[in-house]
Amino acid sequence: MTTLIDRRMGIFLAGLFVLTVAIPVGNLAFEGKVVPSYIVSLLGKYLCYALLAVALDLVWGFCGILSLGHGAFFALGGYAMGMHLMREIGDRGVYANPNLPDFMVFLSWDELPWFWMGFGNFWFASLMVMLVPGALAFLFGWFAFRSRVTGVYLSIITQAMTYALQLAFFRNEMGFGGNNGLTDFKDVLGFPLQSDSTRAGLFVLTAVALAAGLLIARAITTSKLGMILVCIRDAESRTRFLGYRVEGFKLFIFVVSAMMAGVAGALYTPQVGIINPGEFSPANSIEVVIWVALGGRGTLVGAALGAILVALAKTLFTGWFPEFWLFALGGLFILVTLFLPTGVLGLIEGVAGSRGRRARRASAALEDGVTEEGAKA
Amino acid sequence: MLKAGFRAGIASLLLSTAAVAQDDTIKVGILHSLSGTMAISETTLKDVMLMLIDEQNKKGGIDGKMLEAVVVDPASDWPLFAEKARELIEADDVDVVFGCWTSVSRKSVLPVFEELNSILFYPVQYEGEESQRNVFYTGAAPNQQAIPAVDYLMAEEGVERWVLAGTDYVYPRTTNKILEAYLIGKGVAPEDIMINYTPFGHSDWQTIVSEIKSFGSAGKKTAVVSTINGDANVPFYKELGNQGVSAEDIPVIAFSVGEEELAGLDTAPLVGHLAAWNYFMSVDTPENAEFIEKWKAFIGDPDRVTNDPMEAHYIGFNMWVKAVEKAGTTEADAVIDALPGIEVPNLTGGTSVMLPNHHITKPVLVGEIQDDGQFEVVWETDGLVEGDAWSDFLPESAVLVADWVELKCGNYNTETKTCGGATN
Amino acid sequence: MSFLRACLMALLLPLLAAPALAQTASFEDLVAALPEGSYSARGAVVGDIALTGDPRAEAILTALLDGTLGVIAATGQVVTLAPAPADALTGAPVAEAGVAEAKVEKIRVNNGLRRDIRAALGILTLSDPDPAKRLAAADAAFRAPDAAQYALLDAAFQREQDAAVKSRLAEARAVAILDGDFPDAEKRAAIDVIARRGDADAQRILTPFAASPDPDIAEAASAALASIERSRMLWGYAQNIWYGLSLGSVLLLAAIGLAITFGVMGVINMAHGELVMLGAYTTYAVQETIRQNAPGLFDWSLLIAAPLAFVVAGAVGVAIERGIVRHLYGRALETLLATWGVSLILQQAVRSIFGPNNREVGNPSWMSGSFDVGQMTVTWNRLWILLFALAVFAVLLFVMKRTPVGLQMRAVTQNRPMAASMGIRTNWVDALTFGLGAGIAGLAGVALSQIDNVSPNLGQTYIVDSFMVVVFGGAGNIWGTLAGAFSLGIVNKFLEPYAGAVLAKIIVLVAIILFIQKRPRGLFAVKGRAVEG
Repeated sequence: MTTLIDRRMGIFLAGLFVLTVAIPVGNLAFEGKVVPSYIVSLLGKYLCYALLAVALDLVWGFCGILSLGHGAFFALGGYAMGMHLMREIGDRGVYANPNLPDFMVFLSWDELPWFWMGFGNFWFASLMVMLVPGALAFLFGWFAFRSRVTGVYLSIITQAMTYALQLAFFRNEMGFGGNNGLTDFKDVLGFPLQSDSTRAGLFVLTAVALAAGLLIARAITTSKLGMILVCIRDAESRTRFLGYRVEGFKLFIFVVSAMMAGVAGALYTPQVGIINPGEFSPANSIEVVIWVALGGRGTLVGAALGAILVALAKTLFTGWFPEFWLFALGGLFILVTLFLPTGVLGLIEGVAGSRGRRARRASAALEDGVTEEGAKA
Repeated sequence: MLKAGFRAGIASLLLSTAAVAQDDTIKVGILHSLSGTMAISETTLKDVMLMLIDEQNKKGGIDGKMLEAVVVDPASDWPLFAEKARELIEADDVDVVFGCWTSVSRKSVLPVFEELNSILFYPVQYEGEESQRNVFYTGAAPNQQAIPAVDYLMAEEGVERWVLAGTDYVYPRTTNKILEAYLIGKGVAPEDIMINYTPFGHSDWQTIVSEIKSFGSAGKKTAVVSTINGDANVPFYKELGNQGVSAEDIPVIAFSVGEEELAGLDTAPLVGHLAAWNYFMSVDTPENAEFIEKWKAFIGDPDRVTNDPMEAHYIGFNMWVKAVEKAGTTEADAVIDALPGIEVPNLTGGTSVMLPNHHITKPVLVGEIQDDGQFEVVWETDGLVEGDAWSDFLPESAVLVADWVELKCGNYNTETKTCGGATN
Repeated sequence: MSFLRACLMALLLPLLAAPALAQTASFEDLVAALPEGSYSARGAVVGDIALTGDPRAEAILTALLDGTLGVIAATGQVVTLAPAPADALTGAPVAEAGVAEAKVEKIRVNNGLRRDIRAALGILTLSDPDPAKRLAAADAAFRAPDAAQYALLDAAFQREQDAAVKSRLAEARAVAILDGDFPDAEKRAAIDVIARRGDADAQRILTPFAASPDPDIAEAASAALASIERSRMLWGYAQNIWYGLSLGSVLLLAAIGLAITFGVMGVINMAHGELVMLGAYTTYAVQETIRQNAPGLFDWSLLIAAPLAFVVAGAVGVAIERGIVRHLYGRALETLLATWGVSLILQQAVRSIFGPNNREVGNPSWMSGSFDVGQMTVTWNRLWILLFALAVFAVLLFVMKRTPVGLQMRAVTQNRPMAASMGIRTNWVDALTFGLGAGIAGLAGVALSQIDNVSPNLGQTYIVDSFMVVVFGGAGNIWGTLAGAFSLGIVNKFLEPYAGAVLAKIIVLVAIILFIQKRPRGLFAVKGRAVEG
């Protein structure tokens, strides 16, 4: 497993490439819109989720850190981008105030709070998209990993983190628009968000970001550093006794993953047109874990696939049987856990035959790791 | 191999798009949460829409065309609202959408309706400060609920001290801001106003109720104006009842508590607390009696109640039907132009009119909770009140007016004589 | 009756003679004026009716209060509606031809008017032979101070023999003095009387006098207020502790089942909140059955519901364990995924069966209302919930530590292979343990139905808090859960008055995060081999 692009990665990237070309072309090139516009932003949203799932898989699948708070990093990235988009509205808001976003006018803020400074600049905002989640992850990880908080304890405090942030962002005094969040965006870098070509552009950008994310994650996990991460996952104490500074490795991968999640959030905001504290909710973060588990933990490509499949299922089920879709979704989670311990990817590769043995071996190794973790819990 | 699932998904998405090509029915989208936190309130509105559509079809549809309801579940997930709205308009090709409850869900779908030029009827009382070309607001604006309610308490109960308690989101924030400005304008001292915000679903009210009790012990008649959101109300009222705060000592007037909310509550300790709405189930008119009877028959439960947002959908739906008949088409631009000026009877014995600012005229009723979970009207406005999109009590919005007939603008600045913003 | 009337008239005579209170309107005119005018104007009419001392006044005002007084729209004739329509003044039946019931309109009453009626009725019942009624009358007069009633109250006070009623009358008289134009000495005496109460009512009454133009009165009032303020502050701490304990008991109930399934067994049971919800819905179902079949048993409903909720939630728990969780032992984190699925299904199942709306679960009479301890209000339902939570905790502790089943449970969770080789049926014990945790969650549902919404979302609101409590206390230690729940509850309640409800919660969450850094295994960490390899 040392090549950067192995077979599964190759297939996925190829598929992604086909999609990246076909969807915009189908949407823009023909008169009758072979691909309707809403599918473009829908798929764009799925790809954002996929990138978030890859970010989580990086820490959970390869380093055993089960974060139940990755939605927080995603949302912070989304907010950073949302703040820039709010600033871009300028005086086109309903109150035509050139300095303040509508919700601030409406709640009688006199001037822009300091933490909004600079977000008018796209590049500054883009930097913040990675820096803010990265800094939070660094701070959080620095404390948590140094104190050797592990297993479920770590999971629960990551959940506490995202829950606390959710409550904080709900507060209107915070200056992030309260429950409504940030919305009513007009354009990004001068391109109107409601035009088909901008949407297609964002879609392509998201696909590129996903591909880049996958490759970076793959590069990390196939390097020597990646080996150490897997060691930490499978036997943390043993790795420490061998002389590795476990905290440092964990911190590094946690920060990288948070930044990746932030980028996913930043791409998500302009495509769905709203970012609000709901994204911080613990339930959302749990869903991310489910995507990864469903797709196949520790496989990167599987995580992305899982995110796309669950999101797709949700879209279809809520339209097909609005009254009963939770049965279908809940049932899906149970069935996958019971019968597909290696996730959907494991199933596909198992069916593919020749590679089946290897997948099983990989998953067996994975289970060993989890077993030890379970015992620790 | 990996692409297989992917492609299957996309194919079925496309398929659902292709399947709706036939044009012999008029499609009505219903965008209410059927799961998640808002299902409590919104499921009923989905049912009432199905009933209204059913009724209309029994009358022969609109100009011979049958109506067809398209129901989706946005699952109380705000971005999903936008996605589902887009799906309804683009893929299902609906002609009008009735939906949303929370402000954030409305804000989330606004750009979609604007971009795809469709029509949304929004049936819930809200904070105002908005008027969009594609949206028709059939719920109350603050001047159709909050201000008359406060007037009543001041004039009839001699209230001098005010607790403005709300859930921390935009509707209570704005309403309380408007009320604060209004009360201070009426000569209430700022120290006689206490403002308190709690999170969604707040369930431990012990501290706040005791704070209210001690705030009420300052020698002046005190009342609570509650903009507490649905779910948190049950524990709030339970705590009030148990701590012995009776309506005769400190009355609570609520803007979000209706018959549906009371149905989940033992109302005996709450008798006398108030609510301000534009409709109560107990209003005694033939239209209302007929509506209630139909509703109970439709839902198959003799104990089900009706409430204010249901009436708003009733009015909105009838207005839309009339507008389509007037315009002779379901095409959005024609219907949007036809709607202002349309008059339909409401359920409280009056006639509601769609105004040029896309809000409607409504009576304001103040009711006291009875032990059977109904409200008894103790006061009502003389005539119907016109919904005001931009509050006159907030300095930023006092200069704005909305008029989609003459000015073609949702936020026209009367000082600079310009149409501000980019709302078309 | 005639004695009473004579008595009243005698009392009223000096009042009627006073020029300021001269009455010109007759009783009949006053009654005829009841249906019309604003509520405040009609409140004055009600007061005047009481002051006429007419023997019919009590019946008419009681009818007005009960909402059984009506008016015939066409003629303006005031009628009582129950039992059959009759003229309010003469008692003659009006059910003759022409007066259809539809034409009789109920006279509307609002809160302010209701308060006036109670005060007026108070005057009329000040001489009632029943001390309880006299006490209520004094209370009503205390709540609605009116200088015009001073003479009546004073006379009643002088006459009164019952000590409790007498002291209440003294207070009522004092507020009447403060309300009117009386000599300063009397006012100062009245302030002293009120100040002795030392409660919120006293504060309410005295506050305006602190700003009195008369320096003596202002000083007396300010001094009284200051002492009230001090005692209220001290009581405020007690109140906060009580609120904290009460919040803690709710957290304990929500978390204690999880302390078994998650803490002891290590299953990340995301469906825990839904098991709580099932308990609440069981309570609802029991109450509905009782309401329809045996309304007399309503006060017993919770006692009937508790074992049923335990069985229902426990059975669902065993089903979850047998059907899903048992396949996942050793894959602890995957139980999160599967039980999340279970929670979605349970939520939707309840929504499909019972509907998405809140369901009404009533408080039995012994759980309604409150009593005062000093200046602190203790509500019965919170007190019972606290006791219930402690009882559940004690029973659970007993089961785990003192029974053979508990011993086996602990043995299996600590070392499964060893336990199995000692002849313990580990499968059976697993199912039982999970069922026990689930059953306790069901019991929590019974209690939570008394203070919160019974809706399909009930479980979701508690799940995050429950995990927080268990982890903070230290997973695997039931005592830790107890300590965790109460300390989080109390800290939260002390922060709330200063920081507000939202910020208090955020601060608590951040504190938990920081605390875990300090003690990575919670408050009461489990020691031994099971903890770490």
